[in-house]
Amino acid sequence: MSLTVFSLAVLFTSVGAGAVGSILGLGGGILLIPILTIFYGVDIHYAMGASIISVIATSSGAAASYLRTGLSNLRVGLFLVMATISGALVGALLAGVVPVRALELILGLALSYSAFTTIRQLHDELPEHLGEDRHAIRFDLGGRYHDLRLQREVTYRAQRVAPGFAAMFGAGLLSGMLGIGSGAFKVLAMDYLMRLPMKVSTATSNFMIGLTASASAGIYFSRGDINVLIVAPVAIGVLAGAYLGTTLMARMRNTTVRKLFLPIVVYLAISMILRGLGIHLL
Amino acid sequence: MSAARPGPAGAVESLVARTLLAGGLIGLALILAGGALYAAHGGFHHHVVHPTRPPGGAPPGVFTSVRQVLDGLRRHPMDPLAVTALGLVALMATPIVAVALAIAGFLRAGDRRYAAIAAIVLAMLVVSLAVAGGIH
Repeated sequence: MSLTVFSLAVLFTSVGAGAVGSILGLGGGILLIPILTIFYGVDIHYAMGASIISVIATSSGAAASYLRTGLSNLRVGLFLVMATISGALVGALLAGVVPVRALELILGLALSYSAFTTIRQLHDELPEHLGEDRHAIRFDLGGRYHDLRLQREVTYRAQRVAPGFAAMFGAGLLSGMLGIGSGAFKVLAMDYLMRLPMKVSTATSNFMIGLTASASAGIYFSRGDINVLIVAPVAIGVLAGAYLGTTLMARMRNTTVRKLFLPIVVYLAISMILRGLGIHLL
Repeated sequence: MSAARPGPAGAVESLVARTLLAGGLIGLALILAGGALYAAHGGFHHHVVHPTRPPGGAPPGVFTSVRQVLDGLRRHPMDPLAVTALGLVALMATPIVAVALAIAGFLRAGDRRYAAIAAIVLAMLVVSLAVAGGIH
């Protein structure tokens, strides 16, 4: 394929990945890696290198806007990312020691359960009442934002902080051991366990994934997995897409974001169960 | 009293937001500049993209260290792809710089607890980078 055609095609694809990633707090790798490898014939290592850059670009592009509007909660993000990074470090050390397939099966089943809980609360626009969790009060894990869709201030406070923190450690652990992104788990932990508004959950996940990705980008770089000719159009497209995504998401209902998120959880659950059974979709 | 718009972001949030935006824009500018130089050198006419890894040796467009990027910038004529690679390095470093500045921001706001948390996060990021380098 000629470089011009390739660059333009990848650029437009990346706009979509950046928009979806910034709305759902995922970073877009889940979409980008299959598209790059299946449709453009990109080597899986280059695709993963492009994905890690796309996560950082989505995160920086989106978090800049979300932090300013209060959708991304800096304190919640920094507090929880301590758990995720330490989990990822432990996970990287344990990689190769634990039985991966059993782990993937367990994860797939846990995600299936998460899909059901997501369906059950599909129509909850906002968490009902403010929590009284002592860790949330101690660490100031709450905030407010002006919801452009609901046309009012939304005040929230995290609940069940200790289980949420543990889940974040688990998310990091799994991503370290299995080499998968943990954006979706972060959103589930904040939305389902900690009862943060869905939009706050995805926006805060967006901020967090940039931090964890920048920590692991170095290894992709030194391995030679980052090919400038492939990554450059991805980065440009994703930055533009993230800008578009933040503009759209600020005007969406929390329930809409959750409905868009559900298929991702279902897809992850199925692909993890299949991987556990020895069938790789990719 | 709080500003009606753009929202209830505090000083530290604004500082981190501005850092992320600046890092993203600097990265974008360098990526585009490198691309424009590459096009000016006829790169887009001559090259067919190699989406797969060739056995042995790195193909054009792959840099494996910051030193290689800087070497590419110093070369005569300058390697346009090194400019783009520098943009990618800027992008990769942006979140880490943002956390470092958040420490100062929290201290200035008198929030020692979160200055400490941000410092812990920064230390963890540095350790992760070091571990990654060590594995390689």
